[in-house]
Amino acid sequence: MILLALCLLAQSQADQELQKQLEKAIQADQQQTQQGQPANPPAPPAVTGSTGTVPQTLMRGAQSLNPDISAILDATMGWQRRAPQFLNGDDPNLHGDTAHALGFTAQEVEVAASAVVDPYFKGEVYLTIANLSGLEVEEAFATSTSLPWNLQVKAGSFRSAFGRQNGQHLHVQDFTRRPLINAAFLGDDGLRGPGAQVSWLAPLPFFLTFYAEALSVSNAPASIDGPLPEPVKSFGANVAQRPTLTAEAKFFLPFGEEWSLYGGLNFASGESPGLSVASGGTMGAGRQTQLFGADVYVKWKPANVAQTYGSVAFQAEVVVRHLAAGDGLADDWDGGAYGQAVVQFARRWFVGARGDLIGLPASSVTARTARGAVDLTFQGSEFMRIRAYAELEKGNISFADQSVGMLLPAVQPSWAPALFFQLEISIGAHGAHPF
Amino acid sequence: MIALIAVLHVVSSIQTLGSLAKEVGGDRIEVESLAKGYQDPHFVEAKPNLMLVLNRADLLVYVGLELEIGWLPPLVLGSRNPKIQVGEPGNLDCSQQIPVLDVPTVRVTRAMGDIHPLGNPHYWLPPQNARIIAREIEERLVLLDPDGRAAYQKNLAAFEARVARKEKEWGGIAAKLRGMKIATYHKSWTYLSQWLGMEEIGYVEPKPGIPPDPQHLVRLIAAMKEEGAHLLLMENFYNKSVASLVAEKAGAKLLVLPTDVRAEPSITDWVTLVEAVLKQLAAAA
Repeated sequence: MILLALCLLAQSQADQELQKQLEKAIQADQQQTQQGQPANPPAPPAVTGSTGTVPQTLMRGAQSLNPDISAILDATMGWQRRAPQFLNGDDPNLHGDTAHALGFTAQEVEVAASAVVDPYFKGEVYLTIANLSGLEVEEAFATSTSLPWNLQVKAGSFRSAFGRQNGQHLHVQDFTRRPLINAAFLGDDGLRGPGAQVSWLAPLPFFLTFYAEALSVSNAPASIDGPLPEPVKSFGANVAQRPTLTAEAKFFLPFGEEWSLYGGLNFASGESPGLSVASGGTMGAGRQTQLFGADVYVKWKPANVAQTYGSVAFQAEVVVRHLAAGDGLADDWDGGAYGQAVVQFARRWFVGARGDLIGLPASSVTARTARGAVDLTFQGSEFMRIRAYAELEKGNISFADQSVGMLLPAVQPSWAPALFFQLEISIGAHGAHPF
Repeated sequence: MIALIAVLHVVSSIQTLGSLAKEVGGDRIEVESLAKGYQDPHFVEAKPNLMLVLNRADLLVYVGLELEIGWLPPLVLGSRNPKIQVGEPGNLDCSQQIPVLDVPTVRVTRAMGDIHPLGNPHYWLPPQNARIIAREIEERLVLLDPDGRAAYQKNLAAFEARVARKEKEWGGIAAKLRGMKIATYHKSWTYLSQWLGMEEIGYVEPKPGIPPDPQHLVRLIAAMKEEGAHLLLMENFYNKSVASLVAEKAGAKLLVLPTDVRAEPSITDWVTLVEAVLKQLAAAA
């Protein structure tokens, strides 16, 4: 009720504003007419380039077997006091270090193609260039459409179903940067790579799907010999010796028409790549590593927008990591979490806030770091968004007690604010996104 | 009387198609619909529980012409139901035999707004199109359930006869509305206007899916006054504050109309849907 009241209030203010603008525009129009100036021309038809009925054969004949092709650009400018300690591959990279950075970047360019392959598969390819630093295959996979017993297979190179954020592309994100846990525990490119996935939709009265994946994800050691320490570079395993294995369960429960609860439990098994140290060699490589995660997404949105265009979405994820003893390091546990809320307070406007914390508990390779972020998004159309994003990051919180994070050098400066403005456009035919 | 257990489970994207399927399928089918009747069919959220509904379907009937492009494809893929995938007999795009209006004859771009490149998909109100949809569904039901052929044909004939009777009943209203000038919120009343001979002189949305700015509204209000358009039609799933303002300034009456079965509890099938629309139009004309 409170949410509805707030959204109705915002809607009412927007209506009053439009009424004022309309009154002003009508007055201006009347004055122009009285002064003998040409008034506004009549309203044009809403749809141009259209006529009456066109023979169906013409429309059918215009079809082709080309896939749906689209391109999405995230153009970003920003300022940051120092480079973020945990940088996701598709975060805006201003190439700063311990000094402040100010500038522009093409945060990501994505080119996508998708089509039905045949009666048995659908194919999707997503090529990305993040921060103008080389073409990558973000995903390229086939999904089965005709298996029995509620089974589905995905094969190729794809983003793992681990958690909620990891499976999403940048343009689906509610914030300019991905959460800390994604970079810290899943790797700067996220948990993705060549592999295969089998999923099964349980025949239950509610939505419950189980996923099992095997991915060959390389896990290069992270350097601690630089101005900023890096966490484990990516979650994976020694690709020549074993795949990274994951298992996930996702469930969905609707509560009436307005409320939705979507959640998941996640597990991944791999090996720690260790840390590359200044003196040469690595520490902590090959430690057996497990990730345990949970995610939840709660959304309120009325089915009928006649009352309000408002919506509210809460989202949280937690990841706990176990690093087995090995290579001179003791058995370790660390973890992190984030929570965010995004409110649509008008038809085209969204405001969001997110809190991140990793190093909870801290470990030999992860110091405690916290970040708070807020953003304001204007969605001009279904194909364009403009976003202002501000964050404040605090590194090395746990160094104060000298009990953890001892392998890592201190982050300087510890407090790091950043501000970004992001323009996102989408052209072409891009497939719909899941809930 | 022996109760018949439904042979086929039919899922429709919008309620009206489900209602038309029920007219033809009778007791041999059970029907579920994904979108609510009072929901904008462009923007249904692809909630995973809808995949479960589709998982059980023998036949999916949908509007097509990309009306559901923003939400139906991931649901169909996620349903893990081979029977309803595109190209299978259990996948029926009801637009296939519809004489589509507003098909772009020039190259379309998004500068025209959130346009439907294949033509206007809001085609299910006129009797002529309801008959076409019902026949398409009948053909597909016979294909999937040959044993029900006689029942489906009988039901289709009964529906067509009912539509013919209603068309006669509605003839007086249609004659009253012929030539009337109207404005609409979204360009989704084209088929109704063509059927009833009404002339659309402008739209609240400057382009499909694009919210209006004051300058556009001033032009629209002027055009409505000049052309003598005394009605402004709007779907019941849009916020009516802007449309109310326009109607007030233009000296017109705002009609908030249902577009789908179950838009209101009293609208239970295609006939009651059309009657609800015509009743309001006739009262305002």
